[in-house]
Amino acid sequence: MDEKLKIKFIPYEVLKNKRTRDLISDLKKNTIIIVDAKLMPREEARLIRAAMKKISSKFSGIELNSLELSEVKKDKTWSDVIKEKIIEIILGKKRGMTIIGPADIIKKIEKDPTDLLLFMK
Amino acid sequence: MVGGPLKRLHNWLKSLIRSIFRRKTEVRLGLYGPTNSGKTTLANRICMDWIGEKMGKVSSIPHETREIQVKEKVTIEKGNKKLVFKLVDTPGIATKIDFEDFVKRGLKKKKAKQRAKEATKGVIEAIKWLDKMDAVLVVLDASKNPIDQVNVTILGNLEARNTPVLIVANKIDLKRANAQKVREAFPKYKVIGISAKKGSGIKNLYNELFELL
Repeated sequence: MDEKLKIKFIPYEVLKNKRTRDLISDLKKNTIIIVDAKLMPREEARLIRAAMKKISSKFSGIELNSLELSEVKKDKTWSDVIKEKIIEIILGKKRGMTIIGPADIIKKIEKDPTDLLLFMK
Repeated sequence: MVGGPLKRLHNWLKSLIRSIFRRKTEVRLGLYGPTNSGKTTLANRICMDWIGEKMGKVSSIPHETREIQVKEKVTIEKGNKKLVFKLVDTPGIATKIDFEDFVKRGLKKKKAKQRAKEATKGVIEAIKWLDKMDAVLVVLDASKNPIDQVNVTILGNLEARNTPVLIVANKIDLKRANAQKVREAFPKYKVIGISAKKGSGIKNLYNELFELL
């Protein structure tokens, strides 16, 4: 990992059409990926599986964490929940944010719980 | 990275059909969780209590369980009710595996590299087996922060598959353990505090299994 650190912002709509191995390839090149949505659980699992396949002495895996907008908002009413669901169906994504980075440079990504804190090694 | 609405619909229908046609005679109860949360200790406790033999080796070094382990026909009883299931102990799920961590814990470099390689395969297998489970005990270390991405990913994946879940807040014998914190972190789920090592709360867990399966 001798490349300079890069931060890549990827819209969820682009990310979901990207091949997982291309994402891992980016992560292996010292890139932190920020996505404008919370990944679906199956996408997270797929990403972890893909990362595991690429683990070597130069790449020890990934750190990821995400925030879901509906989790951040406290004291939600029923109308808030329904509104959030409708928006989710229309947009086809969970509103929020995901940070994915190589574990070799990121110590941890902590949920605060309304912010994401990224700790570098 | 993932298909569109059709793929999601396909996954949802698959899990729905699986839950409808679940073969009750061959119920698979999985133990899932992050590394070193005490899954194998709990598997050993269940197996020792009901079939009189252990399931696997436990260790303080992470990734001791690197392969799926299955114990067939575990039968637990409550009054005149009987519950028969296949107990599936899975490797701990992690997002990173660094062989240097094993070296720091005293393993030789060659062994550490081998362990790391096997551990990655273990994580992949554990994720693959999510589709095969009829119910899952998510075993968490109650002395650690429950809001961890691995825990969230496991629970999210089980929810996406409509798999019944019971959260087991393990290691309540430790001073810093806090089962209540686990409850607060995951209010949608039932949480049982136990110590698989000492046996406290285990009867309560057996009672809950009758509700879960």
